[in-house]
Amino acid sequence: MTSKTRIPIHLQINGHRHELEVEPRVTLLDALRDHLGLTGTKKGCDQGQCGACTVHVDGQRVLACLTLAAQAEGRAVSTIEGLAEGDGTLHAVQAAFLEQDAFQCGYCTPGQIMSAVACISEGHAGSDDEIREYMAGNLCRCGAYPHIVAAVRQAALEVASSMETAS
Amino acid sequence: MTVHELRTRHDDSKRGDASDGAVVADQVGGRLSRVDGPAKITGAAKYAVEQQLEGLSHAVLVESTIAAGKVRSIDTAAAESAPGVVLVLTPDNALRLNTATDWLGTPPPDVPYCPLARNITFSGQHVAAVVAESFEQAVAAAALVRVAYDETPAIVDLSDAKAGDGIPIDAMTNEWGDAQAAFAAAPVRICAAYNTPREYQAPMEPHGLIAHWQGDRLTVWEPSQWLDGMARTYAEWFGVPFENVRLVSPFIGGGFGSKAFAYGYGAVAAMAAKMLERPVKLAVTRPQTFTAYGGRAATRQTVALGADAEGKIQSIVHRGVNETSVDGMWVEPLGSVTSIMYATPNFSSRQNVVRVNTVAPGALRAPGENPSAFGIESAIDELAYEVGIDPLEIRLRNYAEQDPEAKKPWSTRQLREAYAAGAEAFGWSRRSPEPRSMRDGNQLIGWGVAAGTYPVRRAYGEAMVRILADGSVEVESSSIDMGQGTYTILAQTAAEVVGVRAENVVVKLGDSRYARAGVTGGSRLAGVMTGAVHKAATAALDELVGLAISDPNSPFHALQANTLVVAEGRIKSPRGEGPEVSIAELLASVGREQIEAMGDTMPANSTAEDRYKNYTTIATALSHTEGDYSRHSWCAHFVEVRVDQDFGTVRVSRVVSALDSGRLYNPKLAESQWKGGIIMGIGQALLEEGIVDRRHGRIVNNNLADYLIATNADIPDIEVISVGIPDPHSSALGGKGVGELGIVGVAPAIANAVFHATGKRVRDLPITLEKLI
Repeated sequence: MTSKTRIPIHLQINGHRHELEVEPRVTLLDALRDHLGLTGTKKGCDQGQCGACTVHVDGQRVLACLTLAAQAEGRAVSTIEGLAEGDGTLHAVQAAFLEQDAFQCGYCTPGQIMSAVACISEGHAGSDDEIREYMAGNLCRCGAYPHIVAAVRQAALEVASSMETAS
Repeated sequence: MTVHELRTRHDDSKRGDASDGAVVADQVGGRLSRVDGPAKITGAAKYAVEQQLEGLSHAVLVESTIAAGKVRSIDTAAAESAPGVVLVLTPDNALRLNTATDWLGTPPPDVPYCPLARNITFSGQHVAAVVAESFEQAVAAAALVRVAYDETPAIVDLSDAKAGDGIPIDAMTNEWGDAQAAFAAAPVRICAAYNTPREYQAPMEPHGLIAHWQGDRLTVWEPSQWLDGMARTYAEWFGVPFENVRLVSPFIGGGFGSKAFAYGYGAVAAMAAKMLERPVKLAVTRPQTFTAYGGRAATRQTVALGADAEGKIQSIVHRGVNETSVDGMWVEPLGSVTSIMYATPNFSSRQNVVRVNTVAPGALRAPGENPSAFGIESAIDELAYEVGIDPLEIRLRNYAEQDPEAKKPWSTRQLREAYAAGAEAFGWSRRSPEPRSMRDGNQLIGWGVAAGTYPVRRAYGEAMVRILADGSVEVESSSIDMGQGTYTILAQTAAEVVGVRAENVVVKLGDSRYARAGVTGGSRLAGVMTGAVHKAATAALDELVGLAISDPNSPFHALQANTLVVAEGRIKSPRGEGPEVSIAELLASVGREQIEAMGDTMPANSTAEDRYKNYTTIATALSHTEGDYSRHSWCAHFVEVRVDQDFGTVRVSRVVSALDSGRLYNPKLAESQWKGGIIMGIGQALLEEGIVDRRHGRIVNNNLADYLIATNADIPDIEVISVGIPDPHSSALGGKGVGELGIVGVAPAIANAVFHATGKRVRDLPITLEKLI
């Protein structure tokens, strides 16, 4: 392959700068999984229908399968691998997912968690019905939905209380 | 896999989080959180096709666009000259493979197997494959492959005029008494037809694999519900010894019956890897998952119930039909619940299968029991209204005190308890009996009940347990965890037996190099594997205690004890006298690196051939009615629906289910599985339907936006109640099946609730709004 078919891009992922050369048609999802070895972000449909590939770009939840890697140039990308603190301390959403058993096979889980973090920061975790609605873009075939709602509810309270403490 | 130790902000109280206060979380029956959970919530869990291999190439399938006919020609020129393409596979250059033994162990015909078709029997059949340096290049080149066909008329589905009545399956005929005569003579008779459409497993992780040959040894990273069965298939296809094939599947992103076999695309990838002498990854696309293997066959049933004026059943006449493929045979046992749920002196069930142009259907959560329950549990509800008694009362009046078919006592049947507990928690006594008699503004409210059951499938198993020098315990098995909790319950089992904390047990699964395991299907794995691990761990503990008592270098040698106890990883005399040392200290003192014990529940005189057959086929599975008992798990679902009276939209607003899975090895995880089954059942009842384009015999909604599965917003809170008791006839530790039970009976409970809400009986799933307005 000639170099003309590839473009250099710089991705800022979980606070680390990555430089890679990829074809322009490479999605952010495939760049993460196949080019950078960050396989925590999952490919469930590659069509923007299941939510398994949910990541944050500049703090907003996006579907990595519908985003070209080049579109993320210069923007801050957060994935499941970057959610826990450097010392391994889990994010409140991760801890709540474990405690509430909000997953079984685990394949939709990174996307669910990234969506849940955004759902809380967007202010859409005010009631169980609101959580259900704003988490409805992330499919779970194992059927962990009631436990996902419980986990988001629990994490939202913890995030709120830790923000209160911080202020 | 590795269990990642991660600090959490909150103590998740691994101890003391017990279901009944008596069981610590670490032990069997405790509510231990998933031990593989940390890997899954941090993105560290590596699923099969996520392995990073040097020199990996990417394969993409080309599928037939007709449902019947022949491939006239394949023009590969453009694809071959596309950038990055290293191979275009067609039947013309495919390696000659052998046909493999089927899962029942039937010896294969001596004919070659080609996973790429010239004769087309369904739309979406693999006809070619393109392998390229990158995934994007392979996708682009696959679109350049031109296939010309000679098309012939297809039988698109069961309702096709050309489909006919099908083939009678004699093995499905099940009769006692004189059902036809008793039905004709019964004072109350109902007879209706119940249909279920094609349904798909749709696990969130699509299928796929990485195949890598090193000489005549093949490694396959592929999500698998049956490593040894799939390894056998690959070995037979390629004519290499079984031992030369290694299957690796540490995590499985959902299976629901669809990941137990090696399919054609696996042969394509392994063939390409062999031809190219480099690893090949083939990720089945989401649309391809609808035709690369089969979902649940579409079914038709007729159920006729004859009863006396009090609703006591005199006769059941049942006829079933399911679709199968043109060249494969799938029988979905439609009479499996019909024949055991209710006591009846007269019974007749028969079944045909009809060949249509579809991929061969396969197993989807409770194959047989699921559609069977939709028929009989809808019909009994219709009978209740016909007779004028409560739908719960009619079930109790016809309660089967023993297995009506096998004429044997149940091992355990807590169904009466399930009805009572479910009804109490749901508030069933407040139900107003008349249809359309409960409402909330514009919403018609309906309350429905239905029962479910699933047989206890049993098999022999084996497991390796090691007590290591540092005092930790290692469990190895080539069984798998696709979310049921195998890692966790086996850690609990070994921890309890050896006497260590579960966090000091490392469970290794999903690699065919480990101790062998049969299929993870039919809800059998937990019972089989806890039994095998219990046996292996007991042997390891016995050796440990034996060493401690008898080894001259043991600190206990002078004690002359008959036995010692091990708890919390420490060894001491039961009376507390003498020394107390850790397992690690004891092993060091007696100079042992480790203790290793294989636990095996096969009969003692089993030959190597018996073992191979046991783990690579289902030929040696034990019948659930073998011996003196009939073994099944049971459940009762109570459902509330709200139907918009103008638009006919149905929402499930409340579910209470009481379930008897015997003893639960980990209630926290079992409850999750039950709820998952119930949720899949809600999707089945209201949403799921493979829609066939009748012009082309093609599934048109082959994606997750058009094949609707339940989303979070479709699901209310769900209450599950365990009413099981330990069942010593079903498994070593007293459990019965969990995974499939939950879905059985959900769809009829919802259909019954919809009838109660609207007065309309919907007998065709899914219950969509156009059927109600």
